[in-house]
Amino acid sequence: MNPALRKLFRKGAPAPGDIDAFVAEAEFPLVDGSDVTFVYRGAAEAVYLRCWISGLDTAQPFQALSDTDLWAATIELPKGSRIEYKFEVIRNGHRELILDPLNDVRAHDPFGANSVCQGYGYERPSWTLHNPDARPGDIESRQFDSAVLKDTRNIQVYLPARFRRNRRYPLLIVHDGVDYLHFAQLKIVLDNLIFDLEIPPLIVAMIQSPDRLKEYSGDDRHADHLVEELLPFMAEHYPLTDNADERGLMGASFGGVATLHAAWRHPGHFGALLLQSGSYAFSDIGRHNRGPVFDPVVRFMNEFRQTPGCPAGKMYMSCGIYESLIYENRSLLPLLQAQGVDIRFEEARDAHNWENWRDRLRNGLSWLFPGPVWMVYE
Amino acid sequence: MTPDAPIRLLLGPQRPTVNLRSALDESGMPGGRMAVISAGWQEAEGDIDDVREIVGRELNDVGLYARAEALMAAHPKLHAAYRARQDRLVELQRLYRLRLRHLMVAARQTLRADGDPELLAPEQRHAIAQLRALDRHHLHRVHAIHDRFNCEYSRVQFEPLAEQAAEIEASITAADAVLITGGNVVVLLNRILLFGLGRLLRTKHVAAWSAGAMALADRVVLFHDRTPLGRRDPELLGAGLGIVPDSIFLPDAMRRIREKDAIRTSMYSRRFSPHTCIALDSGSLLRFENGALVAAEAARRLTVRGGFAPLRAA
Repeated sequence: MNPALRKLFRKGAPAPGDIDAFVAEAEFPLVDGSDVTFVYRGAAEAVYLRCWISGLDTAQPFQALSDTDLWAATIELPKGSRIEYKFEVIRNGHRELILDPLNDVRAHDPFGANSVCQGYGYERPSWTLHNPDARPGDIESRQFDSAVLKDTRNIQVYLPARFRRNRRYPLLIVHDGVDYLHFAQLKIVLDNLIFDLEIPPLIVAMIQSPDRLKEYSGDDRHADHLVEELLPFMAEHYPLTDNADERGLMGASFGGVATLHAAWRHPGHFGALLLQSGSYAFSDIGRHNRGPVFDPVVRFMNEFRQTPGCPAGKMYMSCGIYESLIYENRSLLPLLQAQGVDIRFEEARDAHNWENWRDRLRNGLSWLFPGPVWMVYE
Repeated sequence: MTPDAPIRLLLGPQRPTVNLRSALDESGMPGGRMAVISAGWQEAEGDIDDVREIVGRELNDVGLYARAEALMAAHPKLHAAYRARQDRLVELQRLYRLRLRHLMVAARQTLRADGDPELLAPEQRHAIAQLRALDRHHLHRVHAIHDRFNCEYSRVQFEPLAEQAAEIEASITAADAVLITGGNVVVLLNRILLFGLGRLLRTKHVAAWSAGAMALADRVVLFHDRTPLGRRDPELLGAGLGIVPDSIFLPDAMRRIREKDAIRTSMYSRRFSPHTCIALDSGSLLRFENGALVAAEAARRLTVRGGFAPLRAA
């Protein structure tokens, strides 16, 4: 039992007032080294911890603590881990997924929010937080008609602080860019890394698909749209360097698939790829078991694994070790290295979520776009 | 206003310790107007109110960065030639870095190796000699690229550049001394070289900190062991202005160099000898007169054994 709970129960079941005081004072979940104890208070028939960690059961049962309305579940979480979770509470035969009422730390994604457990040794990187000293860049909205997609597309374009039209900038195109802005604090990260000279001032085009599961699954039209329409559009409207090494493409999950696919289909256009938790499902033999939405992904990845070519000269890949995709991501590494790609691969004690991707941005961006910190001596 | 014996005052970063005022006051430099070169600050060039408050003297920023930007904008051919030169330098630096990486690994491993000294010592010397040969080669290549550009676009060859250079020189000549700030050393040096100011600066009292101090040396070495991606091998950028000979300055070394890695630090002095590698941390001060070091405070010399020894005036 967690030491704080043991202390609470040292004289038997505590009185409700003692529990009130305990709940008011403690920080939840209770972290004791690598043991993390989740606590729920309330009447229920059963309570489960729901977290999406590959290797652990999706639902971990809580235990009712004797003669009280407290429930607790302890899991082992290695140093530096960060996980997202919910509680599943069963009351009067009804199941309800709720955020942890005792924990205010939340992470948001397009589907809502999760509670966050920051394990022993995890600290949110300071460069993901607003720095009042960092001069902010601007974001402007652009719209253009795509003949390839037969649609009108909105893009958000990040322009760095002190942007000047007579200079030339590297370009980064970001899949799910609006989500990166909202859920991975991309603008704050860019402002901070540029301010700290860890990346150069760069222009970032953030795209958002209305049908990402289709367009980002290895869809040739999407790749053609990027290269034949978006790149010329950006070059026409913004001062960009004319060097593929300074042209980057980035994405997470299916966005990682779209990134790899576009660079593979159009080699030589993107010199730098930032791939986060790519959904690189493949099948060596027989059918895959990830569901029909992955069919085009598997088709592409199987073809890619046969004829990888050299999609880009430099890449950064990251993946959480608590996601099942870690195996597919790891398996890509030797394949890409064998193609001569200058690649950096990073594993994190995290899962398939936006804050994992946020926390890796510094290493990824500064690897692909090294900043002038090297040349500046104040 | 050309002094007989120009003073060179070299300082470390002006944060957290500000020693610019006291260093100037004690240097023997005249207390009149100073011409400021702050091109290393790029777009923030000329933002010198804080400096003015610190030094308590009349300051006049000569605007090298802004002048160069305006020249480029007005003369597309100059702009294109300058860009082409910079692209070549960047590519050359990349190729140099490729070769350097492997030689550095080999040298480090050889220096760490245990065994019969009779067998090992020549291998260690040769590993360092290979690094020195690569640095020499790189220096020649960088020099050649600059020469090619200067053949067409030096102040002698290109009238608009000469006009700007003359204005800058007039400002500098009228000043009692020159102050060169920190910042981006590559930009700073490029702008000073573009306007051909090296010769004039040799005749002036000069105070400089961080990147400014680096630019005054014979050689400029870029270094940082604590980038987001970890340590980088020290790279020779090219020749400096050579106003303070025989030295290579390493500002903010305490923060940028992993000092506990003795093999790594020893390689600075072995590789760049006969130049002395000097750490200039915040609070450091060096004063040269007639080419001789006459005062030193809190500056350290990197030793062959990988340590840091206090630098003392003769």
